[in-house]
Amino acid sequence: MKTFKTVAVVTAVSLLGTALVGCSSEEKKEETANWTGKITIWDGPRWKDDKENKYHWLEKVAADFEKSHQGVDVEIVQVPWAELNDKLGVSLAGKKLPDIAPVDISGNGVNPMFIKQKAVEPLDAYFTAEEKKDFYPNALEAYTTDGKMYGVPAAMTVHSLLLNLDIFRERNVEPPKDGLWTWDEFTEKMKKLTYDKNGDGTTDVYGFSTYIKNGYYEAWPFLYMNGGRPLSDDASKFTFDAPEALSAMKDLADLKTSAKVAPKEMGSGDVGGTWKAFANGKTVAVEPWATWAISAAQGAKMNFMVASYPSKDGKPVTIGGVGGWTMFHQEEEGKKKVLADLLKELTSTENQVLSAKSYGTFPSRLSAMEQDPFAENVQMQQAQKLTEYAVMVPRHENWKKIDEAIQQQLQLVLNGEKTPEAAMKEAKSKVDGLLK
Amino acid sequence: MKASNGLLKEMWKQRAAYLFLLPKLILFVLFILIPVFWAFLIAFQEYGYSGSEWVGFKNFMTTFTSSTFHVALLNTLKYTVFTVPVTIFLALGLATLIYPLGKWSQSFFRGAFYLPTVTSMVIIAMVWRWVYNYRFGLFNYFLDFLGIPPQDWLNQSDTALWALIIMSVLIPPGVGVIMYLAAMGSIPETLYESAKIDGANAFQRWWRITVPLLKPTTLYLMMLSLIGSFQVFIQVILMTGGGPGDATETIVHLIYKTAFRDLEFGLASAQAVVLFIITLIFGVVQYRIMYRKGEE
Repeated sequence: MKTFKTVAVVTAVSLLGTALVGCSSEEKKEETANWTGKITIWDGPRWKDDKENKYHWLEKVAADFEKSHQGVDVEIVQVPWAELNDKLGVSLAGKKLPDIAPVDISGNGVNPMFIKQKAVEPLDAYFTAEEKKDFYPNALEAYTTDGKMYGVPAAMTVHSLLLNLDIFRERNVEPPKDGLWTWDEFTEKMKKLTYDKNGDGTTDVYGFSTYIKNGYYEAWPFLYMNGGRPLSDDASKFTFDAPEALSAMKDLADLKTSAKVAPKEMGSGDVGGTWKAFANGKTVAVEPWATWAISAAQGAKMNFMVASYPSKDGKPVTIGGVGGWTMFHQEEEGKKKVLADLLKELTSTENQVLSAKSYGTFPSRLSAMEQDPFAENVQMQQAQKLTEYAVMVPRHENWKKIDEAIQQQLQLVLNGEKTPEAAMKEAKSKVDGLLK
Repeated sequence: MKASNGLLKEMWKQRAAYLFLLPKLILFVLFILIPVFWAFLIAFQEYGYSGSEWVGFKNFMTTFTSSTFHVALLNTLKYTVFTVPVTIFLALGLATLIYPLGKWSQSFFRGAFYLPTVTSMVIIAMVWRWVYNYRFGLFNYFLDFLGIPPQDWLNQSDTALWALIIMSVLIPPGVGVIMYLAAMGSIPETLYESAKIDGANAFQRWWRITVPLLKPTTLYLMMLSLIGSFQVFIQVILMTGGGPGDATETIVHLIYKTAFRDLEFGLASAQAVVLFIITLIFGVVQYRIMYRKGEE
């Protein structure tokens, strides 16, 4: 009797379970196919239209998406780029994340901390192997962790030197042939470009300047010049205290402290001031910038060219970045599918070509690059050549802290307050604890 | 028991007043009391998006052993020690100078000194960034005028924190001036008259009558100023970012970075709790000293 009862109960439960599973998978299919509701997407300002609207591109993408996905409402939240990461941090703390948000072009792919906290969705289920093949491997790599794809790369950037050709001409200095130069040529030209313009006995125009700030890498390719790198290849050891890195640091600091070809402000964290000195004040002849600056300088009608970072062995090196989009944690399968569709739209070949032409970024898709978006843009073509020399900053869970420990000390080196050896010893003492 | 009954009875008697206080009390509970309590709880957790884990005192241990926290604490203390007394003294000095003036002049100066107080600290910081600019800043212009070589105020380790201190000290202490003027108005004139008869000069009257009778106001302003100084943040984030190196790193700036850059909310909450306790200790000690002096 007891046995019969047990069998009956188990059978009943099994049948009920089967019915429920069947029911839920049926519902899931239905829900996936017909999800409707609101999508929240954040974005920073991009290129402007004739009405000075810097969100027109996303607004159009959203409007088209709403047309093709009846019942889906896309809400755009405008966030200044400088505030994006902090705002995401606040939202994470409050567990009120957007559905989709961009990764800044100067970034290094998806933030590992977001993956660790399970705040971003893996997207492998929505991208076929064929679709993934269209992305440059290094771009896709920046959004891949433990073999899973946690975002879609949309654009790439590379750091390069921008040269004010008016100052070169004024000082009768020949720009580097094909944008390539050695360290010795570079320093020689910087000396010639540094001068007292108004004859009052003080220097008004400097050859070179840059800034040092957490999360920004304009100055770093100089430190890579002799083969130095911040971390070992497997990101387990601090290596910026190696002789190759220290000698490059000294070379960079000497531009200001010994050669006096850089202003006193070089090495401060003043991004805006550094740009203004180059683009508005025209008091600096050469500055390193990410590729967004090319389009900004073109907009400012500057007479300039793009060059590589100087090298010691004829092989320049630079640092690249990969911008993109991530999908944040979702409960509904149907919504995930719709969001993945929107991610595909945002990063489509057509949109990447448009961004390349209007926003000064390199496509992350091969199919977009094949359309030759820089056919009529000499400066971007030159910058594009530098992509083959680009390396990415290391990817590590604690990279932001590691970066800060290094950048703080670099500021002191460029200020002449510390020797590279002492500075990197201090950085190492902090970084070693973060690598464990 | 009796006492609490008496208190409840008294409260019930004053229920109309409590009803008027209720809206503010609700806001206080919702937006201050609950978040503070929540922060205390989070300080003992590894707080994350997909769940939290109770870690006991681990976050506090990390805070106490962190060299960055030590530097931030030292910078914050240095900033507080130099800004609080100077700000209070300036407010007292200005109020002393304004008080004897006529009605209209007094009103003008009250407004003039209070107006900068309502200006956003963001705007003030932007202006001071220009003041400190190496190439075309006002400070270096004056130094040049005196034949002293220019300084890169915000970008040198030995001047950056001083630059922030000078900036904070030179912002007119509007609230302090207003409060001191109000307090001065409540000092009986007869005290000054009898002191005059006894032959006290103006400085003696100020030192022996005004300053002691302003003790409660001074205590209150010191408390406010102390709490404000311990929470210095906007100047740091807008003008130096904590640099060069960690020369201007302060506790609140560190809390901000730990929470919203590193996404370590538990650790940031522990740092905030430590700041709360330090401020509380300083506040209590200050209150005790000032109160005792007042009693004497």
